[in-house]
Amino acid sequence: MSIWERLLKIDRKIIFVVMAVLVLFPLLKPLGLGVSSGPRAKAVFDAVDAIPPGKTLLISVDFDPASMPELYPMLVALMRHAFARDVKVLLCGLWITGAGLADKAVTEIPPEYGKEYGKDVVYLGWKAGVDAVILGMGENIKNVFPVDYYGHPLDSLPMMQDVVRLRDIPFMVAISAGTPGFGDWLLYGQSRYGLRVGAGVTAVSAADAYPYLQTGQLTGLLAGMKGAAEYEVLVAKKGYSKAYMPGVAAMDSQSLAHLVILILVVLGNVAFFATRMKRR
Amino acid sequence: MHISTDIWTWVAVILTFGIFSFLWKDNPFYKFCEHLFVGISVGYTIALTWYNSVYPDLITPLFRQGKPLYIIPFVLGLFYFTRFIPQVSWLVRIPMGFVLGWASGVAIPAFFQTNIIKQIQGTLLTPGIFSRWDVFLWALISFIGVICSVLYFFFSREHKGALKVAADTGIVFLMIGFGASFGYTVMARMSLLIGRFQFLLRDWLGVIK
Repeated sequence: MSIWERLLKIDRKIIFVVMAVLVLFPLLKPLGLGVSSGPRAKAVFDAVDAIPPGKTLLISVDFDPASMPELYPMLVALMRHAFARDVKVLLCGLWITGAGLADKAVTEIPPEYGKEYGKDVVYLGWKAGVDAVILGMGENIKNVFPVDYYGHPLDSLPMMQDVVRLRDIPFMVAISAGTPGFGDWLLYGQSRYGLRVGAGVTAVSAADAYPYLQTGQLTGLLAGMKGAAEYEVLVAKKGYSKAYMPGVAAMDSQSLAHLVILILVVLGNVAFFATRMKRR
Repeated sequence: MHISTDIWTWVAVILTFGIFSFLWKDNPFYKFCEHLFVGISVGYTIALTWYNSVYPDLITPLFRQGKPLYIIPFVLGLFYFTRFIPQVSWLVRIPMGFVLGWASGVAIPAFFQTNIIKQIQGTLLTPGIFSRWDVFLWALISFIGVICSVLYFFFSREHKGALKVAADTGIVFLMIGFGASFGYTVMARMSLLIGRFQFLLRDWLGVIK
């Protein structure tokens, strides 16, 4: 059996082990390859940076634990950015399984900046009926969410005195793992109420988001874990946060894994054509 | 190294290894973890739907606050369950018709505006594209790509001559699109693996920050 034939018959378990070692190694010993921020992540950052202090950033938590490694760092970085600039944060969710994740962020991040629940941050929770929820929020948020996730009436929360409907929100970021997600915010929030929308998406759905960037419907885009890392770098560069950056920490592993996949794809193709020529 | 003493972290670790065991081969341990995940997700969804939507938005106003108008959505909701009684199963068409009609009325104009009008506007070659050479170049590439890709799906004429050239060019654009999607998919899968490893190394073993 030639070397090419052997290459085509590598046991997939060997590839899994090689991949696991290459992903683990940089997590234990970071290589420091660095992350550069692209224009799409910068556009989201600039839009959040342009929100006047005291105004509100809406973040829609439209993901579940399965997509947490990619999207949760985005949520955390966005909240840190907003709080560092005294921008208030309003959270809601279109994914039922994301409710607990938003609660985790609301519990952990505001205390880092001395922010109070109800005054600087409010979490509305999840409600059934995507289109009805967004359209209802466009008219009056309190009609859709009379109470927040924790059962407090919205009238009792000082932050909600200034935020009555979507038009009171200068910018929102939909962090979505699919449908419902940023597409629904564009459909109902933007086309009907003129809401400015940025998106943070899983890498799988990033390609679907590009057409909306090109038309200007999306202000900016954070794509996958790389997008999260780009945002973390921007937030750290401006001095808004000195906290641990899980997205950036993962990028060395990501780069090594991609390198191995590239090598394997090239080797696999070369081996395929070499064995085919031999057969002829 | 600082191994977690939290029982739930250990449960998550065991279930993580259970899911990873599929990489070796399908096995009962993996099956158990898979079924547990699906069961918990469904149970969580039912509980949250009840407490966040059905109870506060229907049960409370109808039975506690005595708002009679809420009897309409209540009855329409009950009609869904007539699927289980063959004699009256036709009643399910009423709430379905209502939902479809309402959803279509709401979604069609918005969908048309967002996904058709705006996308056509974004594809058109306008005077604005001459502001910079790179803007012009990308606008032109987008324009050619959209036209050729759409022509590839034009099946009313045989693909030969100019139509064949355009359709073949369309295939190139489609392949680039699929390639980008695949590349991003690989990145997504790797990210999930990295996320699990971060959990194991940080939350369980405590060997990284």
